[in-house]
Amino acid sequence: MNTLSKSFLTLMIIFLYFPILYLAFYSFNAGGTMSNFDGFTLDYYKSVIENKALMTVLMNTIAVALISSGISTVIGLFGALFLYFIRQRYVKNTLLTLNNVLIVSPDVIIGASLLILFSLFGITLGSVSVILAHVAFSVPIVVLMILPSLYQQNNNLVLAAQDLGASAWDVLTKVLIPNIKPGIFAGFLMALTYSLDDFAVTFFVTGNGFSTLSVEIYAMARRGITLEINAISTVIFVVVLIIAIIYYFVSDKNIKRGKTT
Amino acid sequence: MRFLISLIATSLVVGGLFLFGTKLLNHSSNAEKDVLYVYNWGEYIDPELIKQFTEETGIRVVYETYDSNEAMLVKIKQKQRYDVVFPSEYTVEKMKKEGLLIPIDHSKIPNIKNIDESFLDLPFDPGNEYSLPYFFGTVGILYNPETTQGIDFSSWESLYDETLVNNVLLIDGARETIGFALNSEGYSLNSIDKYELKQAERKLESLSPNVRGIVGDEISSMMRENEAKAAVVWSGMAMDIMYENEELQYVIPEEGTNLWFDTMAIPKSAKNIDGAHQFINFLLEKDVALQNTDWVGYATPNKAAFEALDEEVKSAKEFYPDKETMATLEVYRDLGPKWTEYYNELLLEFKMSLD
Repeated sequence: MNTLSKSFLTLMIIFLYFPILYLAFYSFNAGGTMSNFDGFTLDYYKSVIENKALMTVLMNTIAVALISSGISTVIGLFGALFLYFIRQRYVKNTLLTLNNVLIVSPDVIIGASLLILFSLFGITLGSVSVILAHVAFSVPIVVLMILPSLYQQNNNLVLAAQDLGASAWDVLTKVLIPNIKPGIFAGFLMALTYSLDDFAVTFFVTGNGFSTLSVEIYAMARRGITLEINAISTVIFVVVLIIAIIYYFVSDKNIKRGKTT
Repeated sequence: MRFLISLIATSLVVGGLFLFGTKLLNHSSNAEKDVLYVYNWGEYIDPELIKQFTEETGIRVVYETYDSNEAMLVKIKQKQRYDVVFPSEYTVEKMKKEGLLIPIDHSKIPNIKNIDESFLDLPFDPGNEYSLPYFFGTVGILYNPETTQGIDFSSWESLYDETLVNNVLLIDGARETIGFALNSEGYSLNSIDKYELKQAERKLESLSPNVRGIVGDEISSMMRENEAKAAVVWSGMAMDIMYENEELQYVIPEEGTNLWFDTMAIPKSAKNIDGAHQFINFLLEKDVALQNTDWVGYATPNKAAFEALDEEVKSAKEFYPDKETMATLEVYRDLGPKWTEYYNELLLEFKMSLD
């Protein structure tokens, strides 16, 4: 890498991360504003922890993220397997395109249409509707994350297993799934991060006292950003960062293994 | 395979535990007679009062927040259950027209007597059939007396001062921005006269050298950090900003301006109508309203609570306008889709004329 591209990369990273670091930095400001740093304090983290309503919402957010990504990993895995085994090229492409359309279509539209759907079927808004909505937008992401690792794995192993008399179930559980483990894990983590920070879809389907962090922060920010919001945003950022690092190591292992086999 | 099962199982079990945990956390110990669903603006009630209400009545409150009238409307229109909502006055009028509100039974709310009469029976809801005022305020000018060096901001004309080039912030709301231009020309801010509106637009355009930006919530941080010298803002927002930056001052221009209300109302989707009345009555109690006003910091229409406020707060005429000023203020009317659209168009034209 020459110096030009290096400096460009550095600039890009500063540009992208500076606002977040700035926000995190002032979450420790004893002065109470985002302008002058008057000394270090953990007061805002303390008041976040002491705020029962906010902690409830935080726990809701984590619960929704875990449950919805768990469910969507299962659905997404079967979706990816189905796509992988389809023979007709145009059917496969059509289904894959339909899957991708869901990823690129605006969240607002997905959210509004889900709200209408839920009202139509009389599903009361609350934890169930939020989880269902999150599953709905996570599944296409999981499918997209698992598919490449299906194509990467050596299909001869599947054929060999079948030759040696493995049943379809054995092939699935003993050959295919272990082979694409990193892909599944990556899909799960992606679904987790998408669910944690989604605002647009979630906003439409929360109700009956059930709310998630991003929706709550948005309502709080109306009265101006308090450093409490900084504190909780910092916590979320760190959590997502940790997930991303785990994801990196998982996919890194995947690449290395791909080279040796 | 085992890894997959353990991954899924762990996430589901841990997630389920969290959900269960929040249920436990919010479970009230006393026997739950019934539940009340309250849908309010963010940071717009003292949370202690909700607890107090539950203790007094045994009604458990499920509390949710929204950030705009429109967001709340979406949920109400989809028949989601809420028992008490807090729409602004123009939204009350709109919801009334669309049949989304249930009339308030005044006999169940004896504390109506606490409300200042000048805030009752206003044109957006004659006889307060559907709504009762919660907080009120105005649109005015927030300025920094130090950096504006003696400009007298008691008139909208002051915004046109030459020394304010590139230093005035405006709210990104068609009614507010077109509204103050109409006021400064001496017209009603509910004008539906194309000639008057065109004149207001021209007036606005002559302000463009001074306009720093037409912004939303950013006004708070920009004024707090003295990035602009003056701004047209809602009084509630001004109070929040002045709390953080004590140099600033707020003034209601003498040509008149908007008087706004956030109200309490019962939407059509309500199930616990009795509880909703109890809750509204509770919020109108003198001590409750006093504590809430202290916490929220906006101006209360509750006369009994107002009397008990600190002398310093009470005497702040810019937030509690006297009778004379009151007479110059005007409440927004719902202008219907056609004229609302026209106001938006004018604002858009003005925005595009800025560079």
